Amino acid sequence: MIQFPLRPLRYFQNPFRVFKQFGFLGINRRNACYTLARNARQLYPLVDDKLQTKKILDAHQIPSPELYFTIKHNFELKYLRELGFLKDFVVKPARGAEGRGILVITDKTESGWKKASGEVISLEDIEYHVSNILAGLYALGGVNDAAFIEYRVRSHAVFEPLAWHGVPDIRLVLYRGVPVMSMLRLPTRESGGRANLHQGAVGAGVDMREGRTLGGVHHDRLIERHPDSGALIAGLEIPFWNDILEIAAKAYEVFGLGYLGIDFVIDHILGPLILELNARPGLSIQLANRAGLLKRLRAVDQVGHAEQLSSQERLSFAQNF
Amino acid sequence: MNKKVYLISFLLIALAAGIMTVKIMYGGQSMHTNISQYLWRVEVVMNIAGKGERAKVRMTLPKDNGHQTLYNEHFDNDEMVFYVRERPLTGNRVGFWRSELLEGSKSVRVSFSAQLVKTSYLIPADLRIDKNPKTKFPPEMHIWLDPSTFIQSNAREVKKHLKAVAGNERNMLKAMHKIFDFVRGEVKYRSERGSKDASETLKKLEADCGGQARLFSALSRALGVPSRIVGGLVLASGVKTISHVWVENYIGGTWIPFDVVNNHFAVTPSDYLELYRGDYPLFKHVGLSKFEYFFVIGRERIPPIDNPWSLYILPIHFQNFIKTLLLIPLGALVVALFRCVIGVPTFGTFTPILLALAFQEISLGFGIACLVGIITLGWAFRALLDSLKILVIPRLSLIITLVVILVLVLVVVFYHLGEQKVLFITFFPMVIMTWMIERYSVIQIEDGMRAAIQTSIGTALVALAAYALMSVHILRVFLFAFPELLLVIMALLLLLGRYTGIRLLELWRFKELLRMGQQKKS
Repeated sequence: MIQFPLRPLRYFQNPFRVFKQFGFLGINRRNACYTLARNARQLYPLVDDKLQTKKILDAHQIPSPELYFTIKHNFELKYLRELGFLKDFVVKPARGAEGRGILVITDKTESGWKKASGEVISLEDIEYHVSNILAGLYALGGVNDAAFIEYRVRSHAVFEPLAWHGVPDIRLVLYRGVPVMSMLRLPTRESGGRANLHQGAVGAGVDMREGRTLGGVHHDRLIERHPDSGALIAGLEIPFWNDILEIAAKAYEVFGLGYLGIDFVIDHILGPLILELNARPGLSIQLANRAGLLKRLRAVDQVGHAEQLSSQERLSFAQNF
Repeated sequence: MNKKVYLISFLLIALAAGIMTVKIMYGGQSMHTNISQYLWRVEVVMNIAGKGERAKVRMTLPKDNGHQTLYNEHFDNDEMVFYVRERPLTGNRVGFWRSELLEGSKSVRVSFSAQLVKTSYLIPADLRIDKNPKTKFPPEMHIWLDPSTFIQSNAREVKKHLKAVAGNERNMLKAMHKIFDFVRGEVKYRSERGSKDASETLKKLEADCGGQARLFSALSRALGVPSRIVGGLVLASGVKTISHVWVENYIGGTWIPFDVVNNHFAVTPSDYLELYRGDYPLFKHVGLSKFEYFFVIGRERIPPIDNPWSLYILPIHFQNFIKTLLLIPLGALVVALFRCVIGVPTFGTFTPILLALAFQEISLGFGIACLVGIITLGWAFRALLDSLKILVIPRLSLIITLVVILVLVLVVVFYHLGEQKVLFITFFPMVIMTWMIERYSVIQIEDGMRAAIQTSIGTALVALAAYALMSVHILRVFLFAFPELLLVIMALLLLLGRYTGIRLLELWRFKELLRMGQQKKS
């Protein structure tokens, strides 16, 4: 039988209407109505600069990966020799965007350090990487930046079948203090162990009540199985789910950003840690959850002053999504 | 929030409309742009160097006539002796610069404004050519009838061809058409160094404007019509070194112009500036080791004189700068539209605008070719630097130096290939190119080649759209005449700033939603 390449016209849907019914949040609306309206400009540096974020988190006893040391000037590059005492660590730019400039060292070998991808690099390579960070190569707007070395999180065993050579993280979007949507981000071979969707990681939607994964998304395509291992994405129960929600609610109170993305990792020993905060969380989370953000944001707005609710009330509100 | 934005936008548009109305009603400005009348500013620059002896330079200067009116003539003689002589026979005005002992370089400048009108002439259909022109025309007219050195109207060849072309035609209009069409049809245009004379043109059937004009003149004289060469400039904004000649024939008591090369029969177009009459060179010089000249030409619509606040009162070179400046908000509008409504990724906000401006300076295809070439080479160079582990700031400096070198190579190579427009490449925003190379490399490393190429194409696309809008002539004229239109652009940008709808490319990126909708239905 000949397959007719074009569908008959009656199947045509007005895409704008479909998106509207779905409650899809576009980038224009996110910027104009949520980030610009809910996030005060002067609060941005708190989340854009990871060192500042860490300082605040530490001050409020919110768990995050331990900071080993920071490098703010080129002459401090010599401290990198101290890395010889470390077996594994992560180098990050303080103001890097979208996971740029992050170097994960998993092991020390005789010829140098092993990256998450398996490549072995020398101290000189690390120095070059750090000096690039200092010069602002990875920073928002190319301003001078600082680099820091921190504890390398090792993934919780639950994620073993779904994460390729990297640590999955959990992105939680909070609106006016209410966690509205969540996504588990799984590294793939293609993303080189990084958990950023545009670099090829898989995003899996998460049920807000129980913290159980739904279907996944990979390069803006809906998928059911992990592209590397072939394991089923749905049905994984994220450990410490209630703790994660509680930590998120606490972090919201500390930072005060009305529209906030929080990235968690679950260490095999330390449990949930806040990796970083994001004042402009992305939109692919909607595909991962097969649900539009706009509906949930409007539901929160209907409560009235969600900010004034207690954190317990906000969390129970979130469990209804 | 939205209501406030709508209100402000409305007020801005109303304000712009109000200012425009006032200017039209009371400021002497018109909505109609009268394209046929221009005020041209011409500057003739002569760079000369002496040999340490007596030196003399002459140039014929323009005069008022029915077709052209001159204003603001100005001479910058660089300390040379300068005087003007009128020639009785031709009526030419000749300027002389002399020095008893000229050593070293001098730069002599003549500048003037000219208002030109297109003039058309009618040759009466029943006018006949005189059998005995020598007796009909007074003796001072005879120089335009007799053969001269380069216009050999008595040569056998010329006469033979005239016979073949015009036969026994004695009707003036028909005869003129016949010889005009003959020269236009048979003689091919070819630019050359030093024009051919009439016989030579007839032999080779290939000549520049000089040779063709001489042949047309020779045929006219042989026919018994007084005919003379006229020299001048075809005006066009920019810098040029080429002058032009055409012919005037004395018909029915007036001198009627004919330009065979550009096909103007009995018409002086509105961009022809006459400088001299007769078969003479525009410049002559003795005792010089170097003589170079060029013309700098700018064009202005005639300003509404009674409005002191109009941009037209600014000096012309500054007006051109303002015109470029006015294009920037236009480009910004396009960028905002493409980024917020369509969602095209670009390298920064201003890169596409600056690229569009650069494309305006040089031609489009050439600009894109240069851009692609320079970015590709720059990217390869950047990859090389990466393997050497060079720090960021010196690396950027190295790339900008490479860009400058590439531009130099391009300019020199194309200059030798005779491509003049490449000289404008110096205006090409080199910092922007360096930045693009760097952004391209970073995106390529971080997000892959695909994303880098996508962003490049997006940038080029937006730049092209901005270029297209900037090229709309009427927009440029209106923006200059009514700069308050910028308020309208601001209003549009404000409205764009509150556009919270879905970007078109988001429909594509999240197209899986459509499939999901269908699955739910079925």
